[in-house]
Amino acid sequence: MRACPTHAIRVKNGKASLIPELCIDCGSCLVVCPSGAISATTITFAELDRFKFKVAVCSPTLFFQFSQRVTPAHVRRALLDLGFDAVWDYSIDIELINRAITDCVKQWPGPFPLISSSCPVVVRLVQVAYPAMVEQLIPIESPREIAGRELKRKYSKELKLKSEEIAAIYITPCQAKTISILQPAEEAKSHLDGSVGISEIYNDIFNQIQKSSKPVDPEQIVFSSGELSRWIAPEGEFPNLSREHYLPLTGLNDIIKVFNDIEKGKIRNIEFLECHACLGGCIGGNLTVENLYVARSKNLHLLAYVLNPTPEFEKEVEKRYGKEDFSLRRPLRPRIIEGEVVDLRDRVMRRRRADELLRGLPLLNCGLCGAPTCRNHAEDVAAGRTEVGDCVFLSRERIEVLRKVYKKHPA
Amino acid sequence: MAAELLRESYEIQGRNFDKAGEVSGEIKMLLRELGIDAACLRRLVIVAFEAEMNVVMYARRGTMTLILSEKDLCLEVSDEGPGIPDVEMALQEGYSTASDEMREMGFGFGMGLPNMKKNSDEFRIETEVGKGTSVFSRIWLNSNG
Repeated sequence: MRACPTHAIRVKNGKASLIPELCIDCGSCLVVCPSGAISATTITFAELDRFKFKVAVCSPTLFFQFSQRVTPAHVRRALLDLGFDAVWDYSIDIELINRAITDCVKQWPGPFPLISSSCPVVVRLVQVAYPAMVEQLIPIESPREIAGRELKRKYSKELKLKSEEIAAIYITPCQAKTISILQPAEEAKSHLDGSVGISEIYNDIFNQIQKSSKPVDPEQIVFSSGELSRWIAPEGEFPNLSREHYLPLTGLNDIIKVFNDIEKGKIRNIEFLECHACLGGCIGGNLTVENLYVARSKNLHLLAYVLNPTPEFEKEVEKRYGKEDFSLRRPLRPRIIEGEVVDLRDRVMRRRRADELLRGLPLLNCGLCGAPTCRNHAEDVAAGRTEVGDCVFLSRERIEVLRKVYKKHPA
Repeated sequence: MAAELLRESYEIQGRNFDKAGEVSGEIKMLLRELGIDAACLRRLVIVAFEAEMNVVMYARRGTMTLILSEKDLCLEVSDEGPGIPDVEMALQEGYSTASDEMREMGFGFGMGLPNMKKNSDEFRIETEVGKGTSVFSRIWLNSNG
């Protein structure tokens, strides 16, 4: 409840519930929930059987989850052995989006800074809490969506299949991207058909690699950039902009601090903010296995073996960049929150009532009422969502109720 | 004249750069909670922040008052400070009397007052050299508040 950055969770009678308009799908609750009650919605292998051709689109983060001796080639092999018909090479899509972003920033008339839109949590945070900044979200698709679109085009042509018969499955470092596939923020339909969390498929890949493992030839570790993004940023969002106008940010708390400053007009001279809600970027995602720092070390290790882009790679990028459109299909809009249905006078009255109620509360933010702060509780009461007596300082019976709910086995 | 719905006053401490921006931050949170239209909110927060910075940079102390009615949002900021000798000049973009120290901290681009004026529907300054300055800004609310 307290982990939620937008205060969207309430716990009443031992059960957690959500104020859906406030949820930004960040997954902070997923990591801390003591009973494992909150889980990510991802796809199962059984659900995939309805497709004729299954393609894995791997977040580059996947490759940094294994030991130093496991190369992206091993991981790809294991995914094919596990039943995928192809593993999509996603680096061209990443490069294309980098270019599209760079061009967009250079041509943007304002307002600045533009905010990256590949992290779905950042997009929803802006839609919910910074509605005035929605037009600053960069109107460009994420690389994973472009990958889904391109692989469907390619395989439906080559294999004479309908695009619905091909599954584009994203191997995801976080549950937020899963939700962005099910319910895209711009209200269009995703080009991807589902996702599997890295942590869900990790054991299968690991065991598969163990089974078929041959001694690794050091020569084999070298691979082309076709297999791994050249960029340190694990989702590749790294536009070719000068450093002084470009600010990379990771971690929701820091992003919120910077967004508050943008709202005041305090941030000048910055053209582009690359924001990832997870600390350290996508390699810190909540469905990853390896800890952030080890994964980053592995990332750097692998990058040392990456060759410069091949001429074929450059040619393909050039060819596709000229003829494809990378913009979002529908504009992003602020999310309507419940408060807007009552008129301003009522909202002011409600706020006054909340202020009065707050004076009667202990301001300890103990959370026993089921709201994360005393202020949230006062607001809930003023909005008619709950009773003021849920506060243990105002009603002793509440303690008895809590005792019953939480202490099922008396000592 | 539309009925006043809410009036809140905040104290601003001069020369306290550490706390600079807190008052406009509080106002922003309040208005956001009230569900004020995003465009109006954005404009008002810019005015509030610039006004707060001016008090912090130049004055000993100041007061910011937010007045909300069904039709508009008003901000009154008055300070005990040096006053502005030439208001016309101060309203020109790029004109600044900020010290190097202030500029190093990222303030004093000479955009403060012009920015406030640009973001207000009605804007007035009253100032007396040696005594202080008061600024009034009004932003009309649109139909959905």
